[in-house]
Amino acid sequence: MKVAFFPGCTAQADQIGYEASVRAIMPKLGVELAEMEGAACCGYPPYSSVSEAAWFYSSARDMAIAEGMGLPLFTLCNGCHLSFTETKHALAKDSVLKAKINEKLTREGLHYEGKAELLHVFELLHDKLGKEKIAAAVIKPLTGFRFGAHPGCHSIRPSSLGRPDDSENPHKLDDLINWTGAQAVEYPGKVDCCGSSLASVSGKTVMEIAGDKLKTVKGLALDGLVTTCPFCFKVYDNRQRAIAAAVGDRTLEVPVFYYTQLLGLAMGIGQERLGLELNQSPVDPVLARIGGA
Amino acid sequence: MNAEVCDQCGKCPSACPVTARIEGFNPRQIIAKVSLGKEEELMKSGVIWTCTSCLKCRERCPEEISPYDVILELRREAISEGFEHPASYDEAEKAVTETGVVQQPQPVRTRSRDRKDRVALGLPPAQKPKDQAKYTQAIKELKEAAD
Repeated sequence: MKVAFFPGCTAQADQIGYEASVRAIMPKLGVELAEMEGAACCGYPPYSSVSEAAWFYSSARDMAIAEGMGLPLFTLCNGCHLSFTETKHALAKDSVLKAKINEKLTREGLHYEGKAELLHVFELLHDKLGKEKIAAAVIKPLTGFRFGAHPGCHSIRPSSLGRPDDSENPHKLDDLINWTGAQAVEYPGKVDCCGSSLASVSGKTVMEIAGDKLKTVKGLALDGLVTTCPFCFKVYDNRQRAIAAAVGDRTLEVPVFYYTQLLGLAMGIGQERLGLELNQSPVDPVLARIGGA
Repeated sequence: MNAEVCDQCGKCPSACPVTARIEGFNPRQIIAKVSLGKEEELMKSGVIWTCTSCLKCRERCPEEISPYDVILELRREAISEGFEHPASYDEAEKAVTETGVVQQPQPVRTRSRDRKDRVALGLPPAQKPKDQAKYTQAIKELKEAAD
């Protein structure tokens, strides 16, 4: 299957290990990633608090590019996926705004109808490829490892718009973890927020919110936390040392992985191609165990 | 905003990750103030900027009010009316309007204190608008029309 690939600002600028892992696993799973030439920001964080019209324009513009390619739009970021979904719903209800946006899109040879299917990582891997294809690609099962799944707010809420997984009892990331041969473990606070969007307003609050989840995962002696959202990963992985300092627990050490990195390891792909050297959390003991397995 | 139908049931603050941590932030109280026409007080107080956008309030509200969406609307109004707001919102907006993306690709630190960029990881050039002037112009026109 072929998809229009939209990494999103955060993955392509900052979380490049995530993008690398996606590019490493997808061709081996039979998914061709078509480049979206000229794509821009999904509009969500920068414009949603500033201008609704600018937000919907930037978002519709990316969907128009995928529409022109005749392909589903595959995005790596929970925020981008929700942004596209909100825009789709809003423009389906507001034909005046849709016409206004299309008038501007015409200048770039684009047109938005709302026809492009949106694909979240869960939808592509879990719903489209499914257990058989994922399990068939696993040649080094992660037997004996126990991980906590962190789906992230925008992949599960609001259910009124139709989200990739259930709002109160999400299970797709858990299934995906289980299909690698590892075991996904339920834990309290699984559907909770990482706090990331408060980074520029109250860093201390982000540390407290994220610290709670890391403490839970550590308390259950899990082998790590697994997510697919670049914003959540930035907090739990990239900021983990700061979180440990802020919550006054220097022993708070939790390996954090992108799901696509874990799956890549189980598929026998080398660590370097999965961007694993960019994880800042203490992943080395886990990698050593997998390497020796 | 349909704040006036709020029953003040309290499901939103009990779900909110911020209410327990930042004094003065309570989605139920924000809705109560909006229904009393006290939007200006909320915009002045700065309280609307501490929402994490986790959407639990929107998910769990039995009246489908969505404090989150009310907060987004208040933020837009606060910015367009010149109330004080975090500089990061202006910076992010400026970056996207001028370059099409929130941030430019940069070398990223490895665990062993080395730095790797997209080329080192074998990644193609990052996506950005082909004709930046047209993107910027469209955004500016849409923003002006809404003001």
